[in-house]
Amino acid sequence: MLRLPAVSRALAAHSKGSIATTNNVRTSVRAASNMVEVFVDGKPVMVEPGTTVLQACEKVGVQIPRFCYHDRLSVAGNCRMCLVEIERAPKPVAACAMPVMKGWNILTNSEKTRKAREGVMEFLLANHPLDCPICDQGGECDLQDQSMMFGTDRSRFTEGKRAVEDKNIGPLIKTIMTRCIQCTRCVRFASEVAGVEDLGTTGRGNDMQIGTYVEKMFMSELSGNIIDLCPVGALTSKPYAFTARPWETRKTESIDVLDAVGSNIVVSTRSGEVMRILPRMNEDVNEEWISDKTRFAYDGLKRQRLTQPMVRDASGQLVSTTWEDVLTRVAGALQGVKGSEIGAIAGGMVDAEALVALKDLLNKLDSESLCTEEIFPMAGAGSDLRSNYLLNSRITGIEECDLLLLIGTNPRYEAPLFNARIRKSWLHNELQVAMVGHDVDLSYSYNHLGETTQVLQDIAAGTHPFCKDLGQAKKPIVVVGSSALQRDDGAAILKAVSTIAQNARASSGVEEGWKVLNVLHRVASQVAALDLGYKPGVDAIRKNPPKVLFLLGADAGCITRADLPKDSFIVYQGHHGDVGAPIADVILPGAAYTEKFGTYVNTEGRAQQTRVAVTAPGMAREDWKILRAVSELAGVTLPYDTLDEVRRRLAEVSPNLVRYDDVEEANYFKQAHELSNAVNQSLLAAPLVPPQLTVKDFYMTDPISRASPTMAKCVKAVTEGAAAVDEPSIC
Amino acid sequence: MAGYATLMRRFVGEFTGHGGVKGFLVQLFRVQETKTGALIGTDKYGNKYYEDNRFFFGRHRWVIYTTEMNGKNTFWDVDGSMVPAEWHRWLHCMTDDPPTTHPPEPKKFLAKVHQINLSGTPDCYVPFSTTRKKIHEWVPPKVSQK
Repeated sequence: MLRLPAVSRALAAHSKGSIATTNNVRTSVRAASNMVEVFVDGKPVMVEPGTTVLQACEKVGVQIPRFCYHDRLSVAGNCRMCLVEIERAPKPVAACAMPVMKGWNILTNSEKTRKAREGVMEFLLANHPLDCPICDQGGECDLQDQSMMFGTDRSRFTEGKRAVEDKNIGPLIKTIMTRCIQCTRCVRFASEVAGVEDLGTTGRGNDMQIGTYVEKMFMSELSGNIIDLCPVGALTSKPYAFTARPWETRKTESIDVLDAVGSNIVVSTRSGEVMRILPRMNEDVNEEWISDKTRFAYDGLKRQRLTQPMVRDASGQLVSTTWEDVLTRVAGALQGVKGSEIGAIAGGMVDAEALVALKDLLNKLDSESLCTEEIFPMAGAGSDLRSNYLLNSRITGIEECDLLLLIGTNPRYEAPLFNARIRKSWLHNELQVAMVGHDVDLSYSYNHLGETTQVLQDIAAGTHPFCKDLGQAKKPIVVVGSSALQRDDGAAILKAVSTIAQNARASSGVEEGWKVLNVLHRVASQVAALDLGYKPGVDAIRKNPPKVLFLLGADAGCITRADLPKDSFIVYQGHHGDVGAPIADVILPGAAYTEKFGTYVNTEGRAQQTRVAVTAPGMAREDWKILRAVSELAGVTLPYDTLDEVRRRLAEVSPNLVRYDDVEEANYFKQAHELSNAVNQSLLAAPLVPPQLTVKDFYMTDPISRASPTMAKCVKAVTEGAAAVDEPSIC
Repeated sequence: MAGYATLMRRFVGEFTGHGGVKGFLVQLFRVQETKTGALIGTDKYGNKYYEDNRFFFGRHRWVIYTTEMNGKNTFWDVDGSMVPAEWHRWLHCMTDDPPTTHPPEPKKFLAKVHQINLSGTPDCYVPFSTTRKKIHEWVPPKVSQK
C-alpha cells in the first residue's frame, strides 16, 4: 500500500538535502544536530526541541483553533480547542501544551481532529448566551469565527444555560460574565504582564468563575489589554460599548503621543470620529500592549477643542474670528518687534514638522530663544551629544541586561510599556532591579537603595554596598528619569549618573556596543525638539522676557502672564483649550495627533509617524501649515509647501528624524562623561521623588487626557472606589 | 374648406400672437411652445394664465410666468412654485372658476405675498440637528467687565 505521507516525506527529505548542499553548510549542520523533524499533515518541518505542536503547525502556516493559548502568556491548556490528532497516538492531544517528538505526524484536519473540535465547541456553546447581535465583540469574536469554522451545524442542546453575575471592575472594562468561557487569559495577563494579582478563578467545573474574589477594581495601568485578549465578549470596553461595529470603522495605523514610548496604535474611526484606539504589534516598542491612557484618552480629542481662530477683543474676551484676521495680527506682531524680542515655547505633543517650521520662522526673524517646556540640564555636554538624552539601550535592551538601576523615576506610570518590559525581563530573565528614588510599587520586587541624593553620590564614589552588585553585573543598565534631571541640581545628578554608568561599564567589561546610560523621557516631543536644537527649559524666556511669545502646544504652565511684561503679545497654537489658551492674545487652532501626518521621536530616538485618521475639527489646520502661512504674511516665507518638502528640511537638520521605524545609534558616552566632570554643581539634599507616584497621577498628565471624561472617571474611581462612577448598564 | 382656413389662421396666429418677431422669439425660447389661447387672467405678480379648450385635457390651461417676482429675476429661472395658491386651483383643474370671476374666500393662512420654493437655495429650510455634537469646542472663560 502506498502511503502518501511517506512519499512526500521522502521527496521533502531529498529537496532539503539539495538546498542544504547548495545553500549554507553551517545552518544545515546545526539543523541536523539540534532540530527535530515533524510532519504537519504530511508536510515536513524542522523545529527546535521543546517546540509545541501548535507552534510547529504555525511554522508551516497551519492555524490551530485556540482560545486559551496566547503567545505572550503562559500555557494553560484548559480550553481544549486546539486538540489535534497525532498519527498512531491513542487520543487527540492539546496542541498548545504538547512538545513535539521526532517524526510525529500531526493531522490538523483529520476526521478525529474535526470531531474533537466539534465536541469542544458544543461544550463551550452549552453555556454561552446567544448574545451575538447585541454583543460588542460581534465581528471580532474568536468564538463566533471558530464556531463558524469548526463547530457543528446542528444543536443537541435542550437544557438551560448557566448565568453568572457581572462584576464591576472599574470604569474602563465592562464585564458580561455569562459570556465567559474560562480561558483564563485575563487572569494570566494580570498576574504575568500587568503584575497585579487581582483577577483569579473561583469554583470548578460548571461553577468556575473569573473574578476579583472581593468586589474591587482591576487596578492596573495596562488593564485595557484584557479587552483585546478576551476571545469572547465577556470583557469589553466600557467607553466603546454599543457605539460601533468593527466592520463599520476605518482603521488607520498611527503612533501614540501621550507618553514618550511611542506605542504603535490603530485608530478606528467612523464618519470623522475616533471610535476607539487599539494596539498595533511592534516587538521593539510595545509588543502588543498599550497603556490605558493611550487606549481610553481618545474621548479627550472630542472635548475642549480649539476649532476657531480666536482673538482677544478690547474688553479682554477671546472671540472667534477668521484665519485672515489672526494671521495678519500674528504676522504684524512678529514684524513689529526686533528678533531678540520674540520667543517660543514648544509643548509636549508637538510633531517634528511643526517644531522645525517654528524654528525656521523664528530664526529667519533673528530670534534664537526657542525653548521646550521640559527641562534638561545644559551644563556639560547638555543636548549637544545625542547619547546624553536618549534611552540608548532601547526598550528591547532591557531583555538582555542583567542589572537595572532606576534613578528618580517611576517607569510604571511614566512609561507603562517600558515597565512591562522590565517586568517581563524580571520574570523570565532573572533581571535584578535596583532603585534610587521614592519607594513606589513597580509591580515587581526591587532593591530599594534609598531616595536621597547622598545614595547617588555614594554609588558614584563606589562606597555604597550596591556597588558590589553593580561590579558583578555583566550587562548593566542605568535609567534616569527625566523628572530627576529637572531639579535645580539636574546637572549634578546627570553627572553622578554618568559616573555610575561609566564605572559600571568599566567593571562589567561589556562589549563596546552596549549602552549603559539611559534617560527616560515623559513627553513625546522632547527628543525631536532636542534633535532640532531647541533649548530645554524656559529659563531663557524667563530671564529675557520677549514682547511676542509663541506657545506651540505649551500647556504645562511654565510661563504665566506674570513672567512677562504687561504689553507682551502671546500667541497660542494648539488643539486644546487647557492652560496655554486662556492666557493667549491670539489662538491658532491646530491639529491633534490623530489628525495630522506628524513625526515623533520616542525616548529611544526612534522616529515614527502618525497618520491622518480624521480631519481636524472646524477651522483647525495642521500645525506646520499654520506656521507656513504666518511666515508668508510676516515676509519671511518658509521654503516648503508640501509635507515632503518639510520632511526634506527635517532631514537637512537631522536625518534621523525621517528614517522612520529606525533607531539612530548615539555614542560618545566617554566624551559626555568627561564634559560632565566639568560641571560645578552640588547635589541638593531633597529626595528624588518623581511626580507620578500612584495610579491616580497616571491618568491625567497632558491636555488630551485632562480633557477626557473617561480619564476623569478613572481618577474618581481610584480615589472613591469603582462604585462611585458606576453607571446603570443597559444590558 | 372653412376648417382649413381656421387651421391656417391658427397656424399664422402662433407666429403673430406674441407681439412681433421679438415676442415670438422670447416665447419660443422661454416656453418652447408658441400656442395661443384666451387670456383668463393675470395675478398680482404678473403671471398670465391662458386657456384653450381645443387642446386636450391637461394641456388646455397654462401659465406664462412673469419676468420678475419677489425681487428675483425670473426671466429664465422660472419655477412651478411661482403660481400662487388661488391660481394653482384653477391651473390644476381643481375648479373651473378662475379667481378673476370667483375671488377666493379670504383665509388667514393664505399668504399675503406668495413665496417661491426655496429648496436648493441658500435660504432653504434646514431642520435642526437631533444628534449629539461630535466635537465639543473650548469656550473661553468669561472676562469680568471692570
